[in-house]
Amino acid sequence: MSAPLLDPLDRRIVDKLSFDARISNRAIAAELGVTEGTIRARIKRLQNEGLIHFTVVTDFRLAGSPNLCMMGINADPSQVTAIAEQLRRMPEINCVVLLLGRFNLLAMGLFTNIEQLNDLVSAKIRTLPGVQRVETGISVHNLKYEAGVARITQMPKGNSEINAVSKKNVVAMA
Amino acid sequence: MQIRNGRMAAPPALDALDNSIIEILRTNGRATNQDIAQQLSVTAATVSARLQKMEDARAMRVVAVTDFAARGYNVIIAVGVRVQGRGIQEVGRDLAKFPEVLSVNAMNGGYDLELMVALHDFSEVQEFLYDHISGIEGVAQIDSGVAVDIVKYEFNVVPLGPT
Repeated sequence: MSAPLLDPLDRRIVDKLSFDARISNRAIAAELGVTEGTIRARIKRLQNEGLIHFTVVTDFRLAGSPNLCMMGINADPSQVTAIAEQLRRMPEINCVVLLLGRFNLLAMGLFTNIEQLNDLVSAKIRTLPGVQRVETGISVHNLKYEAGVARITQMPKGNSEINAVSKKNVVAMA
Repeated sequence: MQIRNGRMAAPPALDALDNSIIEILRTNGRATNQDIAQQLSVTAATVSARLQKMEDARAMRVVAVTDFAARGYNVIIAVGVRVQGRGIQEVGRDLAKFPEVLSVNAMNGGYDLELMVALHDFSEVQEFLYDHISGIEGVAQIDSGVAVDIVKYEFNVVPLGPT
């Protein structure tokens, strides 16, 4: 097991922010009995290390009620990393995961129309070198989605520090 | 042809000011109402009222997204489930009750349900898959893939409305 990334104070701050991302530093400080400066510094460190990120999520309805589509991809093992990188660059794709087991790669995207999905799969994904098979599944009903936990891959603007987690992943992939 | 989610509720109407507030918060969710107000030349009270209105309409939410690693989740598994002898959504709702299950989707495809599961370490995998998930009535078959790397995970459009 790796060392815990968050100490008990970090955890309590994250709990407050998970409940209300807009709570002021002053209010967190008052509730936890520490100074506002401590809260500000802790949040900044967590952001710089890519452990927390504050953003807006908008409802499906504002995007035309899209359906989540999952693409399970089997590929030539020597091409998996290169395919992952190409999928990552496609704006239609929200999520790319390298898997062990059922598929080599799992990609997900949100689509409001089936032609759009078909174009992506047949023209852009199946044609990538090394792709052997793409199994597409369309979500017809979302029963649960936890927006508060994810892999943070985007770094805050103007920050040159490398996310400790991504750095580890890059090494593991190399 | 349009493929649609079952929910037919009309989208809440957002105006230019609402969208400008969303854009600012997208890059910095911790911007204060005062900061946003100054950038948009309105009052902090207006920003506060607009945010309240949009949250009440379930149009948007400002979220603190924590990395899997920050929660101590070191093992992420994508599980496909085939259901037999019971309604797919009913089985999905039972599976959604596990806190380790981050998402549940009823699917049209090779599997009936797709789950994203987060566990602390490999010692939890066996118990979770073969006792917890397989213990739910109607779960006939599971097929799992262990994530070895997550290269992209950017969902800024999510279901906020009632499901």
